[in-house]
Amino acid sequence: MAGSVRPLAVERPRAGLASWLREHRQLVSGLGLLLPAFLTSLLLSVVPLVYLVRVSLTREATFFFTAEHTVENYRTIAERYLPNLWETIYLAGLSSLLDLIVGYPFAYILVRKVRYRDLVRATMMFPLFGPLYLSLGMHYLFLPNGPLAPALNLLGIEGTSLLYSLPSVLFAMAIFTLPFMVMNIGAALSNVDPMLEEAATCLGAQPWQTFWRVLFPLSRSGILAGLLMCFGWNLGVYVQPLVLGTISEQRVLAIALYQKGVIQFDYGLAAAMGVVLMALAFGVTWLSLRLSRGALGA
Amino acid sequence: MVTGGKALAERRDSVARRPRLWTSVVRQRRRILDLVQHGYIWLWMLIFVLPFLTTFAYSLRTPDGISLSPYQHVFGSFKDNLLLSFEVTVISIVLNLLVALPAAYAIVRFPIPGKGLLLAILNLALYTPAAVMGISLVIVYNFLFHIAQSLTGLIGAYVVGTYPLMLIPIIVALRDLPQVYEEAARCLGANRLQTLFRVELPLLGPGISAGILLTFVIVFNEFLVTLFVAGPGNTTAALRVFNLTRTAGIQPSTAALASTMQIVSFVVVIAFFRFFGSRYLKGTYLI
Repeated sequence: MAGSVRPLAVERPRAGLASWLREHRQLVSGLGLLLPAFLTSLLLSVVPLVYLVRVSLTREATFFFTAEHTVENYRTIAERYLPNLWETIYLAGLSSLLDLIVGYPFAYILVRKVRYRDLVRATMMFPLFGPLYLSLGMHYLFLPNGPLAPALNLLGIEGTSLLYSLPSVLFAMAIFTLPFMVMNIGAALSNVDPMLEEAATCLGAQPWQTFWRVLFPLSRSGILAGLLMCFGWNLGVYVQPLVLGTISEQRVLAIALYQKGVIQFDYGLAAAMGVVLMALAFGVTWLSLRLSRGALGA
Repeated sequence: MVTGGKALAERRDSVARRPRLWTSVVRQRRRILDLVQHGYIWLWMLIFVLPFLTTFAYSLRTPDGISLSPYQHVFGSFKDNLLLSFEVTVISIVLNLLVALPAAYAIVRFPIPGKGLLLAILNLALYTPAAVMGISLVIVYNFLFHIAQSLTGLIGAYVVGTYPLMLIPIIVALRDLPQVYEEAARCLGANRLQTLFRVELPLLGPGISAGILLTFVIVFNEFLVTLFVAGPGNTTAALRVFNLTRTAGIQPSTAALASTMQIVSFVVVIAFFRFFGSRYLKGTYLI
């Protein structure tokens, strides 16, 4: 038996790069096609992030000459920039919660009742063009001679007190990420059969019982994915506090990072802040990908 | 006797009327509920559009009444910024196509080990906050690549940040495309290139244009990474809006530039939806 197998194995061409290439032609050409993308990501994404970690471990202005490794930058963050970190997490968390509260009914009605979905989708494009135009628009909205001023005067609120405040920053952040929340919850809800709700109602459940016992458990994955996605986007918030916020909101890490890195050339500290922000964002993304199995199911 | 008969008749009437009354109450309640629900959707649609509408209205308000005169600046002093924006966007789209098409093809059609990890690496820039990407690229451009404040560096930043968004719709489209077409073309005597250009690329059209749309929307409106990476010579229109917001935010011309950017983006998106629908945008940045 063994003797009859052996000659076959001997006859096959072995060794030599050319034959190996011929045998794995598919693999080699596949890798060749991937090369541009891989190189782009390696050079402009992986290398910069690794270098960022390295710079964050060097002392201010010494990394030009000798790499003197220290954790001083992280100590500075722990001593002086913790409020900035908390402010970032606080704003991102609060705006994501706001998104959930506002977005769940929105997604539910959109999936179950609305036939003019294309129109809704078209209006949802505007926040996606970026937080800059959004903040600018809200700035004009709250100006003392803006369009909202008469209504606000009627309510006894002064427009300028809304202009630079926590609520307007939160609102701008929430509007920017609301489409992501609606998208995630809507995807989860459209997989829930409306018959289940009807069955619950027929069996005597009150509307809130139907929601709490049937809808909520079935859409939990969408809620979690939406929360994490909004949180991840809002962690890097920059322009909303700058245009609409007070000094207290302007402590967010992205603004502090820009001040340190680009204005004051303190690359070490800026890099350390970047690493903290990156760790937060990647943690959140990892969690959300694990929960939603990713956009590509990969 | 008479009163008794009247009572009976009344009772009969009320019994006969009761079901109708009941359904009308239910119907009315449902109508109110419908009204509230649709009102909620319309309220949020208004809120989504309101910042743009306010910006647009503000751009028309000049000291001497309503006029389009602020838009002179858009095609005057802001013209260079707009042109640079278009130029950079087009270059990014072309580079993205060159990078993403082969990669998507390889990922779907070739046996490559460790696809999950590979996709994670390719998508890394997508998950990096813009400020972190900006500072890391500034540091690397300054100390490693020595292309600080150059247009090359700016375009590189755009490409690495947006080509995953080109990759995803093309992968979806390629997975939808049965391999039979390719095989049929090869059997009929087309060579690899002919198959690619005559059969596969036309069939991948919607996926590719979804990628182009996403790249356009992001690169055209990107300002934060640009703020870090761009030198003083290459201020894109979105960055100009940001700079003006910091210095001359309440000028109508700022509002005019911001409205122009949003109108251009919106028209492109709507045109895309008209031609291709939204199938290939699922699971990406836009819905």
